[in-house]
Amino acid sequence: MNKRTRTLAVALVPALTLGLAACSDGPSGGKTGTAERKNPAAANAGAVLGGTPQKGGTLTVLSNQDFSHLDPARNWVMPDMDFGTRLLYRTLVMYRAEPGAKGSELVPDLAEDLGTPSNGAKTWTFRLKPGLKYEDGTAITAQDIKHNVERSFSPDLPGGPDYAARYLAGAKGYLGPSEGRHLDSVRTPDARTIAFDFHTPFAEFPFAATLPTFSPVPPARDKGPRYDNRPFSSGPYKVDAYARDKQLVLVRNPHWDPKSDAVRKAYPDRIVVTMGLKGNQVDDRLIASAGADASAVPWAALRPESTSKVLTKPEVKARLLAESSTCNEMLQMHTGRAPFDDVRVRRAVQYALDREAIVTAAGGPALTEASTAAMPGALFTGGRQPDTLGIPLAGDPEKAKRLLEEAGKAGGFSTSVTVSVNDKAIGEAIQQSLGRAGIEVTIETVDPSAFYDTIGDTRNRTDLVYTGWCPDFPSGSTFLPFVFDGRGIKEKGNSGNHSLFRDDATQKRIDEIGAMTDGAAAHKAWQELDGRILAQAPVAPGAVKRRPLVLGTNIAGAFGHTSYGGQIDYATIGLKDPSQSTD
Amino acid sequence: MTTTTTSPPVHGGGGAWRLVRAELRRRASLKVSLAVVALFALMTVAAPLIGSLGGWGPEEFDKSAVDPYLGGLPIGPLGGVSAEHWLGVEPVTGRDLFARVVHGAQVSLLIAFAATAIVVLAGTTAGIAAGYFGGRTDTVLSRLMDLTMSFPSLIFMIAMMSVARDVDRILLMTLVIGLFGWPGLARVVRGQTLSLKHREYVDAARVGGSGPWRILARDILPGVAGPVIAYTTLMVPGMIATEAALSYLGVGVRPPTPSWGQMIAESVAYYDTDPLYFLVPSLCLFLTVLAFTLLGDALRDVLDPRGSRT
Amino acid sequence: MILYLGRRLLQVLGVLLAIAAVTFTIFYVLPSDPAAAACGKACSDERLEAIRAHMGLDRPVWSQFADFVTGVFTGRTMGTGQYALRCDFPCLGYSYENSENVWDLLVDRLPVSASLAAGAAVLWLALGLSAGVTAALRKDTLTDRALMVGAVAAASLPVYFTSVLLIHGLIRLTGLLPYPQYVPLTSDPLSWASNLLLPWVALAVLYAAMYARQSRGSMIESMAEPYIRTARAKGLPRRTVVVKHGLRAGMTPVLTLFGMDLGGLLAGAVITESLFGLPGVGRLFYGALSTGDQPVILGVTLLAAAFIVVANLAVDLLYAVVDPRVRY
Repeated sequence: MNKRTRTLAVALVPALTLGLAACSDGPSGGKTGTAERKNPAAANAGAVLGGTPQKGGTLTVLSNQDFSHLDPARNWVMPDMDFGTRLLYRTLVMYRAEPGAKGSELVPDLAEDLGTPSNGAKTWTFRLKPGLKYEDGTAITAQDIKHNVERSFSPDLPGGPDYAARYLAGAKGYLGPSEGRHLDSVRTPDARTIAFDFHTPFAEFPFAATLPTFSPVPPARDKGPRYDNRPFSSGPYKVDAYARDKQLVLVRNPHWDPKSDAVRKAYPDRIVVTMGLKGNQVDDRLIASAGADASAVPWAALRPESTSKVLTKPEVKARLLAESSTCNEMLQMHTGRAPFDDVRVRRAVQYALDREAIVTAAGGPALTEASTAAMPGALFTGGRQPDTLGIPLAGDPEKAKRLLEEAGKAGGFSTSVTVSVNDKAIGEAIQQSLGRAGIEVTIETVDPSAFYDTIGDTRNRTDLVYTGWCPDFPSGSTFLPFVFDGRGIKEKGNSGNHSLFRDDATQKRIDEIGAMTDGAAAHKAWQELDGRILAQAPVAPGAVKRRPLVLGTNIAGAFGHTSYGGQIDYATIGLKDPSQSTD
Repeated sequence: MTTTTTSPPVHGGGGAWRLVRAELRRRASLKVSLAVVALFALMTVAAPLIGSLGGWGPEEFDKSAVDPYLGGLPIGPLGGVSAEHWLGVEPVTGRDLFARVVHGAQVSLLIAFAATAIVVLAGTTAGIAAGYFGGRTDTVLSRLMDLTMSFPSLIFMIAMMSVARDVDRILLMTLVIGLFGWPGLARVVRGQTLSLKHREYVDAARVGGSGPWRILARDILPGVAGPVIAYTTLMVPGMIATEAALSYLGVGVRPPTPSWGQMIAESVAYYDTDPLYFLVPSLCLFLTVLAFTLLGDALRDVLDPRGSRT
Repeated sequence: MILYLGRRLLQVLGVLLAIAAVTFTIFYVLPSDPAAAACGKACSDERLEAIRAHMGLDRPVWSQFADFVTGVFTGRTMGTGQYALRCDFPCLGYSYENSENVWDLLVDRLPVSASLAAGAAVLWLALGLSAGVTAALRKDTLTDRALMVGAVAAASLPVYFTSVLLIHGLIRLTGLLPYPQYVPLTSDPLSWASNLLLPWVALAVLYAAMYARQSRGSMIESMAEPYIRTARAKGLPRRTVVVKHGLRAGMTPVLTLFGMDLGGLLAGAVITESLFGLPGVGRLFYGALSTGDQPVILGVTLLAAAFIVVANLAVDLLYAVVDPRVRY
């Protein structure tokens, strides 16, 4: 997945109202092909590994990459948001630090409560806790939060969440504070009060207020694009040294007051992120967990080829976290172009697709679940996707052939699919499985950096694309409208709706549900709409991946956070024995 | 470079081949390498035929041969070696390793040979033109050679391969590798041509009224053939290695087409869990490069004893 | 001599300009949009346009190239208002990915690649030349054969294979050496060397074999020259003849090779750096490529070209010192 954009910039998982997180173990959906076995990787789901940490020591993070952005105005990649908001900067509201579904519950952070709506949820007001300080001891003010919200509009600082831009009143054409212009719709009557005026009701704003956009940046410290390399801390740690793509060293921020913070525990004295390592070497080092590596955790998910080294050793398996990423990946078909303008052809693809092969290509059932709906399990009651279509996971090529015959494509046809380089194996699984029904697929692999550009060019893209969407909000409103509302389609730079699905009934229903005031009814309505859309087959569901992470033997207090795509919660992690760690 | 030392006459014509045969009898290693080259050349030509001996296509999945719960590791010893899969299977997909290695040979060697052909054609033409016609032609061509050689070639190849879309990647890779290979040969040929140009027999032909094309074809071309053949043979292993490097870096052939470099790249991660998967393509690459190097060495000793290489 | 040097330096500039133009064309003409990549998820058209304008991508290619070239010498200012970034001579622009000055990035990464190249070069020269010269002096003996077969075999080993063997054998099995992680020479010479030892060996094996073959060949040739025979006939000790005369002439072709190899390597051994996870110029390039970070790609390409051109120049100048037959 593109580390910079949407797919990892995921999923603020299920809401307070929603059911269990998608991390429940056991088999998924259908019952075909290989015999069902207990998922060997899910034993630790919902658990905190290593007990309660001791204070002190150095926690090492071994990474194969650099952070996309640590500048809070630009940080919109799920694991990076976890790291930034849990360690370096505080936001108005915060997710609870607990495994499983509780991780999607909100608690106040800089604010005293979860905000007060007024004017029909068009205005939200927050009051800051007293005595909050930055790393240099100066006071955190409401004006500083406003400043960061304004910064997120600047074309010099791209990449960040755009909720402020989408909802704030009078924000059209605003290009940030660098030339002295300011937003009137963010009001700061005093240093501890901040109010936001939206042009439309925004009932779910507290969830958006967990985003780094709503953290403070003092104007005096704002160095524009260079702020990315040295964010100024309001959290429990501050940047001691940051050599991009090499190493980041965090040390304690003495001015952070633990009493003002309900979430962050800040156990280690130092956190060192070593970047640019080889992915496989990180896996090997953590499996061996020798010497200083005992106090280390990985940044990126375990590579699929290392899976067997972990699952065959009980001692290593006991150190494996595998929380769901909550991103649903789908094979999306160009519904505006022949032959995919014919619903029978699209359904043939749904039937031909071998989700077992996709799952194997993505690390096996231990680390990936086959998908049976459009929205990820986290958005369904019970935390699990229903099997709306009832197609065997290994596919049904015969049925697919019959459907093609009905559509007058008895001899099959040729088409092509675009996948990100990282999903090459999945591309091959798609190619192989559609081939069984006579659909000959050519694979276009594209670098992650160019992937969204390529598939966003609706005129020149391939018929098929394999990509996912992750709910930005714990609500169907952050999934179905993005992926299936035809009004959002752009000729270039198209995003989300890669099936170019234009259906009046769906659009009407989306508007109706959006206008609902009863959260529970809306929740049900989204689920029902999901099934209706899938029956028209704009997409064939693929898989939902987990985020497998092997911890060092000296790590304590670790779990994959459901609101951060399964990344380790950096608020509570620490060491069993700090004296064992070395610098 | 300013000191291209020109070399004395080269054995031309039929005498050389007698020497080759004599050398062949003398050196055992040469026989072995010829055999290896022949084997892989056969694979290149008859890949679909040989590959089908095992009963599996190179792109055919075999889900029953891998264990999905272990990250798709092959079932059975030595990476799933069995009567059905002679060299085992590829993890995750269960594709037959034998079929893939054989088809991989076709892709890897095809690219190497085709790129070499481009280099020989372009290099010889440019070299002879520069050496024989001299003057402005020489200046322009020599500058072009210098410029091309100043390009950081691997970096450029990676860059060009990575930005290209919607093209035949095998063709593009061949062209790109060829593009950066010709100046080396062109220089050798130019030097050789310069030294031949003023030989008595060439002067004699000129005085005798032969046109430049006739002289080029009858006197110069045979004269440069020896070094060209030797240089070319030695160039092939480099081409194979370059293809492997590009595919290794993920800018090479498009999936599911196998090539050795792509196979090595994917198998490196499995070197301890499935060593055979890693060993098979590595060994093929090693043997081919070794065989071509030995062969090239021998040919050079015979055809170009004083070495026109700079 | 000075005239010659001046002319060559002018040529160097011309070559670099040509290479910059080619690189620029390849990356800027092709249909990828760094602005869209930077903008991120659900980017509005309006914001995309603003970002594109900020990056200067809304102007024609030739004018962007002209800006780049003049910017190298005069510096450039990028961005707006208080967020503007000023980049001084030699200005290669700023990374799209992390807003770092490209020149600073190169300067920062160069020591890693240089350490890798220099260490490996010392190893391969020592190994390759001694093997080559030994083989040449014992031409057609068993030693010669063994050395040359070994060299050919080693040169044929894929570098991926060697590195895996080294990593597995020396790190994972014995635990003798650390997983390579670059430590600057200035901060701790010992761990600098121990961390780089494996990459050095992996790289040196390949080159040592090539140098052994090359130096054997040219050594045999130069030992057959008439002036060597004269020297020997004069009764000079064999050692003197070999070292003072044979080596000196025999090393000229080796020097050419060395100049080009070292020049190429200084700008990053892409595969070796990526195999061992070393943060050198090669990895910088590979990373920039996968994120479409065009200013960095252009910067590395220019640096690599500069090294090659300068290395060639240096080799030509050194000829005069090494080989008494060459004069300018």
